[in-house]
Amino acid sequence: MTNEHLVRQAELALPGLLVGVIAGAVAGGLAGLAGQPADWAIVGMVMLAVPLGAFGGGYSLLVAHRKVRIGGFTPVMLYWLAGFPVARVLHEVLTRLVMTGEPGFPPDGVGFLAYQALVSGGFAIGFLWLHERIAPRLWRRYAPRNPDAAAIYDAYVAYARQFYEAKQAKNARRRPVEHES
Amino acid sequence: MVDSTNVPGHGSAEQSVASAPEKEERVWHAGGLEPMPIRKLPDAPPAIHLLGPTVFLVALGVGMGESYMWPRLVLVFGPEIRWLFLIGVTLQAVVMLEMSRYAMATGESIFMGAARVFKPLMWFFFITAMLVYIWPGHLSAGAAAFEEITGIPWVVTAIIGMVLVGIVFSLAKVIYSLLENVLSILIGVLVVGTAIVASLVGTWADLASTLGGMFAFGYIPDGALSAAWFPIIVGSVAFAGPSGMQQMWYTLHLRDSQAGMGAHIPRVRGLRHASEEEAMPSRGFMFDTDDPEEMKKWRGWRRWVASDAVLMFWGVTMLVTISFTVLAQSAARQNPQVKTLLENDQEDAALQAMSDAFASVGSPVLGGVFFGFIALIGLNATLGLFDSFSRGQADMTYHFVKGAKRFKMSHLYAGFLWGVIAFGILILLFGPADGPAAVLDTLAFLSAFAMGAYCVVLLLVNNRMLPKPIRPKLWTNLVIGFGAVFYLGMLFYSLFRFGVVL
Repeated sequence: MTNEHLVRQAELALPGLLVGVIAGAVAGGLAGLAGQPADWAIVGMVMLAVPLGAFGGGYSLLVAHRKVRIGGFTPVMLYWLAGFPVARVLHEVLTRLVMTGEPGFPPDGVGFLAYQALVSGGFAIGFLWLHERIAPRLWRRYAPRNPDAAAIYDAYVAYARQFYEAKQAKNARRRPVEHES
Repeated sequence: MVDSTNVPGHGSAEQSVASAPEKEERVWHAGGLEPMPIRKLPDAPPAIHLLGPTVFLVALGVGMGESYMWPRLVLVFGPEIRWLFLIGVTLQAVVMLEMSRYAMATGESIFMGAARVFKPLMWFFFITAMLVYIWPGHLSAGAAAFEEITGIPWVVTAIIGMVLVGIVFSLAKVIYSLLENVLSILIGVLVVGTAIVASLVGTWADLASTLGGMFAFGYIPDGALSAAWFPIIVGSVAFAGPSGMQQMWYTLHLRDSQAGMGAHIPRVRGLRHASEEEAMPSRGFMFDTDDPEEMKKWRGWRRWVASDAVLMFWGVTMLVTISFTVLAQSAARQNPQVKTLLENDQEDAALQAMSDAFASVGSPVLGGVFFGFIALIGLNATLGLFDSFSRGQADMTYHFVKGAKRFKMSHLYAGFLWGVIAFGILILLFGPADGPAAVLDTLAFLSAFAMGAYCVVLLLVNNRMLPKPIRPKLWTNLVIGFGAVFYLGMLFYSLFRFGVVL
């Protein structure tokens, strides 16, 4: 795997990675303002932002390689149904590990996981909302040097183009009879 | 050709003959105003289109009701009270669909529709908007929350915020596009953020009881019918989701997003780009409802707006209140005093108590997070409110004030925008932010009354001003009729029985 290939994959993963990191940092970042001890705030923020960013980047790669449908609700819901609880477990376990030296799983593990799975639905909607705003713009920027980004960006505009051409064709067909009736 | 009932005062279709016989222009007569020429309906966007103008309604609607009033009611009366929220938001989703029916079929705002039925109806909304929305009090909750986390006095934040809003909207090329982008990002952050915070502090039991409570139909707790709580509960149902005139403004955003026949109307531009604005037509347009192809496209547009209503508006509003309710339940579990404070205290103290409760039990982060989200909600609402108010007033002025057509719509928009900002700054510095205490009740009354009134207007406009094939179905009329009876009935019942406005 060449460096160039890695850079290209990173560019494809960037939109979801950004959304995941921002989402994790929103909660964690406000912690500093609220007067939480700085070390806990920073560690908690990082431990949440990193797994969410990693899963977010994974989702972007799946979209870019056409493994999931662009903008579809069901795939993103299913993806985060698994990803969100895992990210939260990592957040809980790793924060305690770094701060106290001992990893600790939240009490009532099954209930914890079930609750996180339910909340993941809300997170998935917000994630998709942001992803669909950010991804086409970023991929368009990378398109000149990254063929994969160009391909997925083309897939996004294909809908618009198809739609526009169909409309033009329809108008052209109708024009001669426009003044009838 | 479109439907031709031709009953005086109703919508009817006929052909008007222009100067040359071969250039007959087909028009749709609706009410007393200028008839609408028949034009082609554009194709509906493909299903992939994720975001629509609903983002404005969500930005305006997800306010204090969702973040404070409903969590408060749940703590006082238990999660079962949430069935009323379900009814309130569902009713608003149907109202939204019906608002979109007229706007997408004609490219006109609902204000213009009201004027087609009876012009004084439109003037009522014009005056109500002036009286209710000119006061800058709506800025206080968000700016005060910002003060809690940064220490910057809220009046300073509010004034800087207002001036910034004015500058940004004046520089924007197409105001709608700018605002849709900004609000989409802010709401996206709000949704993922509240979901994460709920995941950090909530439990399975909190979520289960919150969700279960939504289906406890018919549950009315003892204290709910008291003079102290009845107006608050009814007000919370009425103001679940968008309140006051926000749904009416949504028709202007639909038009500017080029939805349906809105595609034939030019978009409102920022002051700096006002000269690029094309001439605004003096009326909307209608499509040929007898053409099966056109009706197929119309059904496409209805599906588009329905998915917007259900997924974006209903879904996001539900999600945010569920998250905030879970937060409040978690706060009350950690600090039982919260419930007492919420029952007795004013909004500020109770918000502080909820924040303190989060902060006091091992997670100081949550106090800040809570205020952070209140500030974000306030920012969304403020951006949306300034734009919507100016848009609505400019639209009515342009079409119905004599001589206003000398100006471009963008000039009128800028006039109202800077007018409300200048007035807001003066009031924040020298006067009562919510309006003079003596008229507060009147303003609250007008805000609730406008909601009942727009339900009546919707029934009249959609059933009389549109061609038969695209009029609403019976069940929809029944729901909107229920809305009118509910909003007006509860308002007057509360007023006469308890002497309190919602």
